[in-house]
Amino acid sequence: MFTKHISTQLAAHLDGQLTGAELREAEEHLRTCVRCREEAEQVRSGMTIIKSLESVEAPDELWSSIEAGLQPVPKRPRWQWVLTPAVVLILAGIVWWRSASSWIETNSTSRKTISIGQIGTVEIEPNTRVRVVKDQPAEHRLTLARGEIRATISAPPKLFFVDTPSGTAVDLGCAYSLTTEEDGSDLLRVTRGWVSLQWKGLESLVPAGASCRTRPKAGPGIPYFDDASAPLKRALETEGPLAVILTESRKRDTLTLWHLLSRVDFGDRARVFDRITALTPLPAGVTRERALALDRQTLDHWREELAWTW
Amino acid sequence: VADLTGREVNADVVDSCRLGDRDAFHALYLLYKDRVYSVALYFFHGDRAVAADVTQQVFLKLITSIGQFRGDAGFSTWLYRLIVNECMDAARGRKSKVVTSDRAHMEAFAVPGSQEEDYARTQMVSSVRSAISALPPKFRIAVLLRYFDELSYEEMAKALGCSMGTVASRLSRGHKMLAELLKA
Repeated sequence: MFTKHISTQLAAHLDGQLTGAELREAEEHLRTCVRCREEAEQVRSGMTIIKSLESVEAPDELWSSIEAGLQPVPKRPRWQWVLTPAVVLILAGIVWWRSASSWIETNSTSRKTISIGQIGTVEIEPNTRVRVVKDQPAEHRLTLARGEIRATISAPPKLFFVDTPSGTAVDLGCAYSLTTEEDGSDLLRVTRGWVSLQWKGLESLVPAGASCRTRPKAGPGIPYFDDASAPLKRALETEGPLAVILTESRKRDTLTLWHLLSRVDFGDRARVFDRITALTPLPAGVTRERALALDRQTLDHWREELAWTW
Repeated sequence: VADLTGREVNADVVDSCRLGDRDAFHALYLLYKDRVYSVALYFFHGDRAVAADVTQQVFLKLITSIGQFRGDAGFSTWLYRLIVNECMDAARGRKSKVVTSDRAHMEAFAVPGSQEEDYARTQMVSSVRSAISALPPKFRIAVLLRYFDELSYEEMAKALGCSMGTVASRLSRGHKMLAELLKA
């Protein structure tokens, strides 16, 4: 009977992370598959090898250089603990009104910087109109009506959101700039980490070094690396010939091709699939049939494998 | 300030750091400094200057954003997210630079006085370190996080910003590659 190889699960198996059906299937597979048994021995050997490493002491002088870089940290005023509940409610109301309902606007010469809770900052560029919609520890949300913001977020994924007329930018631990034009279209440029652009079930995942446009009533477009060829970027911008995109794509541009796969019709899908597989081998667990059928699990697995080259 | 012997920092220390208590921050630094430095050192091929710079940046970012830590997730997870970001950013910035010879960094891992006493062991550690340096960055950071702080797969997924399945895959491939590199 055919069973899928478990190469990617071997560390989890050896680390005792598999339970229930997953564990039974892995053990059953290892009993019958010589290849996976050999690979398991290699993984076990790698685990043993790395245990020979020792922790290294940080140099003594490091603390003084860190301390020199510290700004004075303002201490919390002690009087906050004696505020009456009524005063707290009034202050909370003022804070909510000030932060959650008022628009922040910059003119042609002004810039502003706002703190996003304690997880990062947003720089507001000139001619920008933005509003803080929510400012809670579990969700920080802005609305960008027009202009440009530059966000630097250091937090677990999915805590910071920016809504625009054509979609939502979801932070996955990153730094990026987002520009919204007067017609409601956006341009996202990611400089660190990942950003997910979402609109009505449509999603584009944009890694560092890549950009993506969104358009009103169409949502996120196809992301591309900033160092992609000019003809490729022009073809994406103008919805030009698919042949140009395919011809111009490098191994790294499988980012663009992977997103295209689910956005083109079935006839063109096979051409995109063939181009990706010409640039990089099809990984285990991904089949042509499932990929062309846009099987979600298959596409996600394939993206994770392709992302090593992005 | 608090009991710092456990793997997770006491919540009182984090609270004190939020209030601007420099002593509490120093206690936090003492607890984690070697783990942060070791990960950075092994990640950057034994380059002590880069490892020190990364460690410094991690702790500066930690103190400026510690207010976000609410205790609903492990402190280590949050700290290691900072380490991952800093290591990967620094790695990207160094891509175009010439990588210094491994030999130049050998001394970074040497235990004082140990080379003559245990030459074979030193050679073995050196080989392992070189093999780790040869791993792709995403495998390298996963293997180091798992080893140096014994993060669970769930914690690693949060720190690396990926699924637990991806963590398992990176560890499997990373460890297998290590074994292959050392066998070659």
